[in-house]
Amino acid sequence: MYKKIIAAVNEHINSEISARYALSLAQTCRAKLYICFIAEKGMAASSISMAEDAVKRLFMKAREADVHVESITETGSPLKEIEKIVKHEGIDVAFAATRREDIEKRFYAGTFARRLSINLPCSVALVRVVHMGRLHPDKILVPLKGRNGHIKERAHFIAKMAEAFGSKVFVFHATKPITKFLHGEIHITPIEWEKRLPENIADFMKHLKKHKIEYEEKLLPGAVARSITIEAASKRHDLIIMGASERSLLSSILKGNPVEAVLREAPCDMIIFKPFHENK
Amino acid sequence: MKINNLTKEEVLHNLVTSENGLTEKEAKKRLSEFGLNEIEEVKKTSLFIRFLKQFTHFLAILLWIGAGLAILSEILHPGEGMLTLGLAITGVIFINALFTFVQEYRAEKSIEKLRLLLPFYVKVIREGKEREISARDVVPGDLIILSEGNKVPADSRLIDTTYLMLNNASLTGESEPVPAQHKPCEGEIIESRNIAFAGTTVVSGSGKAIAFATGMATEFGRIAHLTSAVEAGLSPLQKEIVKVTRIIAFLSTIMGVLFFFIGHLIGIGFWENFIFAVGIIVANVPEGLLPTVTLSLAMGSQRMAKKKALIKTLTSVETLGSVTVICTDKTGTLTQNRMEVKEVWTAEKQGAGGKEKWAEANTLLKTAYLCNNARFINGEYKGDPTETALLKYARENIGELQSERVHEIPFDSERKRMTTVNKILDTPPFSPSPLPRFIAFTKGAMESVLPICKYILRNKEITLLNEASKKEITDAYHSLMDKGLRVLSFAYSELQTPDSEPEKGMVFVGLIGIEDPPRPEVSEAIKKCHEAGIKIIMITGDASRTAVAIAKEIGLAKGNPVVIEGHEFVRMSDKDLRERLTEKEIIFSRMTPKHKMRVVSILKEEGQRVAVTGDGVNDAPALKKADIGIAMGIAGTDVAKEASDMILLDDNFATIVNAIEEGRAVYENIRKFISYIFSSNIPEIVPYLAYILFRIPLPLTIIQILAVDLGTDMLPALALGAEKPTEGIMKQPPRDPKERLLNLRLLTRAYLFLGPIEAAAGLFGFFYILKSGGWQWGQMLPSDNLLYMQATTACLTAIIVTQVANVFACRSFRESVFKIGLFSNKLIFIGIAFEILLQIFIVYHPLGNMIFATAPIAANIWLILIPFAVFLFIAEEIRKIFFRQKSYFKGV
Repeated sequence: MYKKIIAAVNEHINSEISARYALSLAQTCRAKLYICFIAEKGMAASSISMAEDAVKRLFMKAREADVHVESITETGSPLKEIEKIVKHEGIDVAFAATRREDIEKRFYAGTFARRLSINLPCSVALVRVVHMGRLHPDKILVPLKGRNGHIKERAHFIAKMAEAFGSKVFVFHATKPITKFLHGEIHITPIEWEKRLPENIADFMKHLKKHKIEYEEKLLPGAVARSITIEAASKRHDLIIMGASERSLLSSILKGNPVEAVLREAPCDMIIFKPFHENK
Repeated sequence: MKINNLTKEEVLHNLVTSENGLTEKEAKKRLSEFGLNEIEEVKKTSLFIRFLKQFTHFLAILLWIGAGLAILSEILHPGEGMLTLGLAITGVIFINALFTFVQEYRAEKSIEKLRLLLPFYVKVIREGKEREISARDVVPGDLIILSEGNKVPADSRLIDTTYLMLNNASLTGESEPVPAQHKPCEGEIIESRNIAFAGTTVVSGSGKAIAFATGMATEFGRIAHLTSAVEAGLSPLQKEIVKVTRIIAFLSTIMGVLFFFIGHLIGIGFWENFIFAVGIIVANVPEGLLPTVTLSLAMGSQRMAKKKALIKTLTSVETLGSVTVICTDKTGTLTQNRMEVKEVWTAEKQGAGGKEKWAEANTLLKTAYLCNNARFINGEYKGDPTETALLKYARENIGELQSERVHEIPFDSERKRMTTVNKILDTPPFSPSPLPRFIAFTKGAMESVLPICKYILRNKEITLLNEASKKEITDAYHSLMDKGLRVLSFAYSELQTPDSEPEKGMVFVGLIGIEDPPRPEVSEAIKKCHEAGIKIIMITGDASRTAVAIAKEIGLAKGNPVVIEGHEFVRMSDKDLRERLTEKEIIFSRMTPKHKMRVVSILKEEGQRVAVTGDGVNDAPALKKADIGIAMGIAGTDVAKEASDMILLDDNFATIVNAIEEGRAVYENIRKFISYIFSSNIPEIVPYLAYILFRIPLPLTIIQILAVDLGTDMLPALALGAEKPTEGIMKQPPRDPKERLLNLRLLTRAYLFLGPIEAAAGLFGFFYILKSGGWQWGQMLPSDNLLYMQATTACLTAIIVTQVANVFACRSFRESVFKIGLFSNKLIFIGIAFEILLQIFIVYHPLGNMIFATAPIAANIWLILIPFAVFLFIAEEIRKIFFRQKSYFKGV
């Protein structure tokens, strides 16, 4: 599915680590990797040099891994230039790192990451780098909500990431507890919860099975974001791959935004994946 | 692939740093991306918002509407006294909010205590130069210099070490220092020797390490995250109270609205109808319930403190009573943590203590003496309890030994052995023969020591260790463990030079079995738990056979318990573990505290109410997750204590069981005073129904209802909260989670049996006064009419008088008051005295008259109401007789 992958690199170390994920995916998918650095106007020479060094390191690493690689260095607006490359080269998936300043902004409003994920005509994987010691994730936590679109592409992306690192996938669904007005919360055991597994998630797991990926599923009631971060921390997961938030700004203000909350508290690296078709 | 698997060069490459460290500019960039290296508390609802939420639940909203309408009524129809009512209802909302908040409030300081374990300043190399920076500024890629006494600021990969020893107690709970090294290691980061974790301490030596995770990304941050994010959820009592308040609010609303329309249909005016609707709501709501529950829990926590169980969250008092599973540590909780050598075994012979001087035992005891870090100073043994026991035994049997320790490979939980290299001096009683001058002594777990032995000392001769000898040793090892002993193996080797490899081709000399005697009261406590249907799961670092033997000795296991070892546990899926946890008897052996949270989580997911014990920093998440986290008061760390709900002041398992008994009594007592409080709702509601249906003056005002609910009822109800546990309370299974606090039986007794008697008394008092004063049926009286005020006062007095009898009736559900002892709860009499004095104030004091719109009544009115009280008491005693007989015939 993925034949061309682009990784945006800048002077920050997290962009280089994010690109390493792209490189591993490219290696597994036998895809061509584009490593691009877009220097903004007025950027300090030292920053340009740092970014170029990162591109060089990644380029060398890709060559060592026998990945077909191309590096692109341009000047201008990163968003516009990357969009141009994506369109011109027919990129399937773009990797970019989220910045700390991004997660400090409520609902990602106005951040480069958000604009990238909205505007690029390809699937987008935004990487939040938290832990630099877990180079190859052994355990990938995949939180899924009850109603997911584009199951096939999500499953493909996760399966390929798992394949790239030989990881086990843990599908996790945090759902609202069952309550009755006069009885309050009703306790249901995990086996009973399994019977209530949403169809989408069961479908997702079928796809994983097709890819021959080792997986386990877990369904628990509780606050979505908090349940995810607790699960990731308590089971020492190495990577969380989550779908991008589909909530509008107003809905996020009223109901909260689980993706944003997980981003803030993730105890391990995290990829927010947005399949291209979701833009359509 | 993880950072621990890499070579030094690969580490530098992957973290994009060098042996000269980061540049200041790069460090600044990384700081902006990864944030400060500090422990943060996860975002939680603020105390203020939590307090505000107490004003927005369904019942509170209902009361707000009532208060709002009352105030609106005062504005539109001044002079009806509705302002007072509005303010009184608002007061009720505040009182309930405050008491609920007090119940839920808990000071959270575990994160503060964790922060104290991190350093303030740290030495790093940046741009090739050594600098001291604030530990908060350490970033991934920083090259950290570690030397003796330093605390490690971030999770770091060691790239250079010189005899570096780290104390990982804050993470693993193991107090023994662990040797660290800088070579690549296989396996997981958490188990690697080449990683220095944040919060650990350099005991000796020095080294350089590169930070790869900072702040909340570190292992320490992980513990902090879980400790601060994990919540046990609402306690069973809180859930029940939520249900009770919803049921009451629902019933009140239905009744209020229904009778409002009935009133409207029969032609009652809007404002009259409105007063009635508000009155129905106020009469239905047991305003004093939450304050009484809170105060009763506070009294329960005081009683528990006297039994050496310090309660930190009020609701935990009752939660204890509902516990179905206790996950407990062994050492120090079930046992005394007073190690004593009980058996020695050598290839020559086996003995129990004594002064045997056979050659192997002599060498065995010398090994135990010299491979030991405990000390005998000023007539006292000091050190780790196991080592102290070995030193004491050896010293008492072979006397003082002189030797110079050349070096040591300390004990650690991975290798499960320690080795010392000693230079032996020719001083008596130590003879230089058969041991030469430099000797390596090793002690540890058999599975660790036996593989490094090539020989065995048998009949004063060193012979090859063959399969037969190995089997003989293994059999002896199992036999000692089956006696519940902790068994250590001992070996030595002669070294050509002090630097020769010490742990190679060693001579096996024997085994020593150490007993950690169970606490004497534990067997009885476990028996009580079994009778009470509480399952006990032992989680220990000991070997399986030792754990099983101890479990059998104390009665924790009767048959063949399921034993899950640490390595098996790690590989097990949640599904398998869930299945194994359903077994009746289960023991986890060779476990570390980090595994506890998984056990607790699965048990909770299965609907169990779990209590768990813990003492270390890494126990904190499990303590938070459990329904009741129990920290050890003596051996516990500050972090564990802060994360717990209860602290055992004596570290004793039996104290937990005593607290559970108290918790069960608290729940039973809450039901008793709920019966008591709900009984008085009927005489509060019936006057309103009579008022609307029979067009009579209102027999009881809303303020007078509040006088009962928030005044006279309070202390007697609290006194019911202090009833002693019923006989046999620990012989019943834990209460079914589906069992309601406010069940149909309780409601029937209060609403259809006790309540109507009180209502009859109230209406009798009301009409007696009216009729005596010449009142005619259908005549409405103004609210300031003296006769009317006396009549409502008589109604109120009737409720108080019958409630005095009711407090005795509610002391038990089935036993006669005479059987449990009329005077066995002195607080009841204090409560009744308060109740009567308050009523006298309301009836006879001008201030009482003014607040509650009452008027003094003649003393004979009190007397004519007493028969109702006597009737209630006798009727209840007869009901109890019927109940007991029915139970007897049913075999209950």
